[in-house]
Amino acid sequence: MADVAPAEEFLQLAGGRVHLLRGGVGEPVLFLHAAGGAGQWLEFHERLAAAGFDVIAPDHPGFGKSDDFPEVEAIDDLVYHYLDVLDALGLDRPHVVGGSFGGWIAAELAVHSPHRIGSLTLLSAAGLRLPEHPVTDLFLLSPARLAATLFHDPPPPSPAPPPGTAPDLDAIIAAYREATSLARFSWVPFLSDPKLERRLRRITAPTLVVAPSDDRLIPVEHAKRYAASIPGAAYAEVADCGHAMYFERPAAFAAVITEFLASHPLAESGVSR
Amino acid sequence: MKFSFFHLMPYPYLPDDFDEKYQSSALTYPNANFDPKLGSALYARYLDELEYADQLGFDGVAVNEHHQSAYGLMPSPNLMAAALTRRTTNARIMVLGNAIGIRGNPLRVAEEIAMLDLMSGGRVDSGFVRGIGWEYFGHSINPTKSRSRFNEAHDLIVKAWTSEELFSWYGENYEYRYVNLWPRPLQQPHPPIYIPGAGSTETMKFCAERKYTYMSVYAPTPIVRRWFDGYRQAAADLGYVPDPERIAFSVPIYVAETDEKAHAEARPVIEWLYRKGLKQTAEMVTPPGYMSPGSLRGVLASGMRPLGGFSYEDLLANGQAVVGSPAAVADRLAQLYDQLGGFGQLIGLFAIGPSTHEQVMRSSELFAGEVMPALRPLGVASDPVGQASS
Repeated sequence: MADVAPAEEFLQLAGGRVHLLRGGVGEPVLFLHAAGGAGQWLEFHERLAAAGFDVIAPDHPGFGKSDDFPEVEAIDDLVYHYLDVLDALGLDRPHVVGGSFGGWIAAELAVHSPHRIGSLTLLSAAGLRLPEHPVTDLFLLSPARLAATLFHDPPPPSPAPPPGTAPDLDAIIAAYREATSLARFSWVPFLSDPKLERRLRRITAPTLVVAPSDDRLIPVEHAKRYAASIPGAAYAEVADCGHAMYFERPAAFAAVITEFLASHPLAESGVSR
Repeated sequence: MKFSFFHLMPYPYLPDDFDEKYQSSALTYPNANFDPKLGSALYARYLDELEYADQLGFDGVAVNEHHQSAYGLMPSPNLMAAALTRRTTNARIMVLGNAIGIRGNPLRVAEEIAMLDLMSGGRVDSGFVRGIGWEYFGHSINPTKSRSRFNEAHDLIVKAWTSEELFSWYGENYEYRYVNLWPRPLQQPHPPIYIPGAGSTETMKFCAERKYTYMSVYAPTPIVRRWFDGYRQAAADLGYVPDPERIAFSVPIYVAETDEKAHAEARPVIEWLYRKGLKQTAEMVTPPGYMSPGSLRGVLASGMRPLGGFSYEDLLANGQAVVGSPAAVADRLAQLYDQLGGFGQLIGLFAIGPSTHEQVMRSSELFAGEVMPALRPLGVASDPVGQASS
């Protein structure tokens, strides 16, 4: 695997600045991060880039080093925000890959502007309201319970700091800011848009839905419903993996996604089906 | 000094394994643990206690709003206030307050307070609170909108009370094409407003600009002192010295005939209040967006600890509970008065956690008979300590 160091860029939009990481050469892939992971260039991103893609990973409004964009209040505003991002990047019709919260944004973007999406990959996306398969209330979980929920095989807890260590206020406040941004978009309706499911038929791009085998945050039924509702969508599962997905099994996630992207080159996609 | 008798109406019958089994007495604490027969008897008892406080000469009887919790059984404080309008004669009826941050329809609050004011002959005080963090989970209200909803609801309610012509309201959170309050309140221009403060400089300024009563929540004395000083400073910045009555100190109080008896009886109920009643997780207390990043930094940097982490002795030393014989309680409250730079209202919690009816009645009798007279001269406008003290 080639070592692909990302470049850091800022996009100036009307409502503020978007921070993004970008690496690799090839067809553009817009990667929309989950509630966690803003501003992180992980083994997963590196593998996608090394497979021959121009991976562009922006931080959502109010996440990472992006500005708050106070006028972005809800999921519909996020769709318009990402149309602005596509325009600012000069991307006509990229591959779009979204994980969890970012998967919800990707699905809404594809419903709103199907012609702007070269291919769509949803990784255990939020966004559907399935009362019989509720999403775990991550806002109520302690950090330890959250880790246990996200991973199939949770990593050992980090060692407690020595007594008397001052807490890292900046880190606590940065995490609270991102949680606040997530809550702004998704407290109620909880991580969903009740109208999304019936609109999924509008998506025209080739679509892959991926679920981890052991998702304790967003039950796998959500991914299955996405796959059943988006015309022609393919469905894949990654074994022995929790909702942390590309954090927990980066190689497996990168492999299933690069195989799909490679078999749907942008030149051929987007044709009305 | 004005004295009020505040009631939380707790549900004290927690199971023996509560500490090990449950993260909190609120939000997710199963309501199978609520026995309706006991609950019905509690309401009767608690209303009796509030009515007795009126007979004892307390200046006010106070209720508040909590949801989905054994800590407080008043989802609707206005219902309790309505009952009190017919069974009390002299005391102010203090609703401290309506949680307008989580109400779906704030106009309803304006209507209900106006009704209560008329029903009570103009004895209602109207507190407004944002609602505790867990209530944003419980009522599915976005906590990132908390302050905006609170501010807008306040503005709407005051305008609805005071406007004598129909108006329309188009706000960030609420829209009404017809606001035309029937009935209007009796007190003019509107019932007095009380706002609790917990360190936010915005709240201090908000209260000082409007001359609202600023009341403390349970916290260690040096922290409450900073809050009261902040309010006094906000008033000074506007060019006036606040009437001491605009500053209200809240504290649990337990009085018995002797210090020994008081401490023996108070220890378990004070510990219940702080360790069980107020048991809650950080995630419940501070949902995302409930605090601004600046306020969160202030709280973290001030070293405030979870309430359950204090011992009984800590709580007494910190001024988060006042316990003893009448003389000891009077002395301690006078000391706190000095340490806090003065205040003109004392909001006492006399029915604490699992204290019995007899204990509550006796404690409030002793307080009214022997403590109030000693403290009465403090905290009036002519008292210099209420104006400047270091």
